[in-house]
Amino acid sequence: MRPSRTSYPLSWRLMDAVEAIAAAVWPRSFSAAVPWLMLMPAVVLVGLLVLGLWDMADGSFRKLDTATFLPSDDYSLANYDRAFTEKLFFTVASRSLIGSLIVTVITLVFAFPYSYVMVRTRSTFLRKFLLIALFLPFFIGQVVRAYGWLIILGSQGMVNEALGFVGVAPIRLLYNYPAVLFGLVQYMLPFAVLMLAPALTAIPEEMESAAGSLGANWVRTFIHVVLPLAKPGFIGAGLVVMTLSLTDFAIPAILGGGSQDFIANAIYDQFFRTSDQGMGATLALLLVAVGSIMVGVVFALFGAGTLAMGRSK
Amino acid sequence: MRAESKGMTHTAATAVEAPFAVSVRDVNMVFDGVHAVRDASFDLEKGRFLTILGPSGSGKTTLLRMIAGFGQPTSGEVFINGLAVGSVPPHKRSIGMVFQKLALFPHLTAAENVAFPLRMRRFDARTIPDRVHRYLDLVKLGKLGDRRIHELSGGQQQRVAIARALVFEPDLLLLDEPLAALDRKLREEMQLEFRRIQRELDVTTINVTHDQREALVVSDEIIVMDHGRIQQKARPEATYRQPKNAFVANFIGVTNFVDGVVANVDGERIVFGHAGFAGRSGNGFRPATGVSARGALRAEQIRIGGGREALGDVDTVFGGIVTDAIFEGERVVYEVAVADLGGTTLRVFDHDPVTHSQHDVGSSVALGWNVKDVLVFGD
Repeated sequence: MRPSRTSYPLSWRLMDAVEAIAAAVWPRSFSAAVPWLMLMPAVVLVGLLVLGLWDMADGSFRKLDTATFLPSDDYSLANYDRAFTEKLFFTVASRSLIGSLIVTVITLVFAFPYSYVMVRTRSTFLRKFLLIALFLPFFIGQVVRAYGWLIILGSQGMVNEALGFVGVAPIRLLYNYPAVLFGLVQYMLPFAVLMLAPALTAIPEEMESAAGSLGANWVRTFIHVVLPLAKPGFIGAGLVVMTLSLTDFAIPAILGGGSQDFIANAIYDQFFRTSDQGMGATLALLLVAVGSIMVGVVFALFGAGTLAMGRSK
Repeated sequence: MRAESKGMTHTAATAVEAPFAVSVRDVNMVFDGVHAVRDASFDLEKGRFLTILGPSGSGKTTLLRMIAGFGQPTSGEVFINGLAVGSVPPHKRSIGMVFQKLALFPHLTAAENVAFPLRMRRFDARTIPDRVHRYLDLVKLGKLGDRRIHELSGGQQQRVAIARALVFEPDLLLLDEPLAALDRKLREEMQLEFRRIQRELDVTTINVTHDQREALVVSDEIIVMDHGRIQQKARPEATYRQPKNAFVANFIGVTNFVDGVVANVDGERIVFGHAGFAGRSGNGFRPATGVSARGALRAEQIRIGGGREALGDVDTVFGGIVTDAIFEGERVVYEVAVADLGGTTLRVFDHDPVTHSQHDVGSSVALGWNVKDVLVFGD
C-alpha cells in the first residue's frame, strides 16, 4: 500500500489538481497541438510586425504633397528616387554602415579576452566580478549612459578638467564620429561578451592543453584551435552587434549631437520633424532590407549551423 | 644532488647519473589546500611502458600532468632524459599525450589532426603528408584520413589520437586514461593496440588508469598510487604476487582480508586471529605478539569442495556455509561465511569444470588454501 496522498506537500497536491483539470479540458488526443499552441504568441507578435511593415510599404510609395502636407493618393517611386540620389541620405547610410562595421570589429576584439577570462578563470570571485561589471550597465539604460559620457567627455567634463591640470587646453571629445563609435562599442560590449561566453564554454579546456602538448604556443593555439572552434560565437555576436549598432538611435543622437546622424536618426527626422511619412517609411524599409541582406550573406557564407543551432550529429 | 641542480637547468651538470627517460624526484603538489601528490620519486628507463594505477583522487593524473608540463610541482623536480624540465612549458617538451576525452580537433579531418603537431613544430612541409600517411597506417586508419572526427567511431577516434600524439616522434608518450570511456570489448582491443604500437616504436610510455586489468595487460612496470603516495613500483607479476601492503593487495585482484591479533611468529610464518589462521609475512612484516594484523588471500587461491578430501593438497582447511553463488560463465563466485574466522565472509572463485556450480546457497562446504598464499600485513 502506498503512503497516503496527504503525505505529499500541499504544492504537489495542487499541481496534481491542476494536471487533472488540464487533462479534462485538454484531452490527450490534442497533445500534438501543444507545441504549436505554445508557439502562437511569438507567431502573433511577428505577424503584427509584418502587418505594420505592409502598411509602411504602402506609405513608402506615396509622395508627400507639399501643398497639403498629406501623402499623395497615387503611387510613385519618387521617395526611392530621392533616397538613392540625395547626398544627405548617402552620407547617413555610409556613415551608419561603416560605423557599424568598425564597431563590430572593435567590440569583438575587446569582448573576446573578457569572455575568455570570464569562462576560464579558476577564481569564482573574478568570474562574479566580471559578470556583475557586465550586467551593471544594462540596469542603467542607453540614454542615461550616453548622458554619462557627456558628463565625462564634455568640454567642461572630467577628462578635459584632468587635462587642464596638466596644462592641456580643452579638446573637443564629443559630437564627432569617434565619440559615437566609442559610445556604441561601450554599449555593445556586454552583448558580444554574453554571446561569446557560451561558445567559449563549449570548447573543452583539454583542447587547449592538447594543442600545447602538440607544440602550439598560446598564439598558435588561439589561431588554430580556439578561433575556429569559437566561430559560431563570433558570428552570432558579430551579427547582433552589427545589426544593433546599424539601427541604433540614442548614441548617435546624444553623442553625435545632430552632426553624426545614423539611419535611425534620419528616419526619426522624416517621421517626426518634416512629417514626411512616405520618406520615413522608405528609409525604414531600406534599412530592413540592408540588415536582412547582411544577415543573409553571413548565413550564406558560414551557414546557419555556425550559430550552433540545429541538432548535433 | 638536488640542491646543486637548482638554478642550473640548462647545463649538463643537471643530468642525473643514469640518463633515465623520466626521473621524478621528491615531487609534491598542493593546490587549493589539497596535497594531491606526496613525495613521489621514481625512475623510468627508455622504451619501457609504465602504468600509474590508482583509484580516482589518488593523484595519478596530477603526477602525469606535471610530467607533461601542465602544472608545476610545489616542490621537487621532474627530469626528462636527465634534464630538469621545471620551467619548460608543455609546447617545448617533446611529449605526445593522449587525453582522457581525446581532445581531437572537430574542425579538422583525421589527417589534419595528425598533421597538426607537425605544422606547429614546423616540420618540413613537404614531408608532412608522407609522414601523416605512415602514422595513419601504423594505427590502421590508412583510408580514413579525409574523414571528420565526428564521422569516426569511438575506436577510430582513439587511433587518430594515438597517431597525433606519436607522429612527431616524441621522447615520451603519456596516456591520460584514454580508454576509460570505451565499452569493455573495445577497451581490451585498444589495450593490445597500445601495447603493439608501443613495442613497434619502442617509445617510452606512461599510462594512467584505474583499471587494474589494463595495468596488468599493457605494462612493463606498474606504480600503484593511493592518497597521493606511490605505494609500490614493480613489474605486473610482482605487483600481483608480492603486493607491498594491504592497499595494493586489495586494489589489484579480488582479495579476502582476515583481521586478527598476532598469536605466534615463527620466521616467515605468522599465526594470528582465529582458530590457528596463519600466513606468510608480506613486505618483511615482523610483528610482535599481540599486534593486530591483516591477512590477504586471493579469491582464486581458495579451493572449494563438499568435503576435506575434495580439496587436494592444501595445508589449511576451514568449513563454511555458502551465502551466495554467482554464475559468471567461465567461473562461479561463491561467498562463504566461515564461522571459525569470526563469521568472516570469504569470496572464492571456482574455475573447476567438474565442481562448477555444485554448491547451493545454504550448503556446507570445505575451503582450503596454503599458508604461503596468505600475505600478512600490519594495519
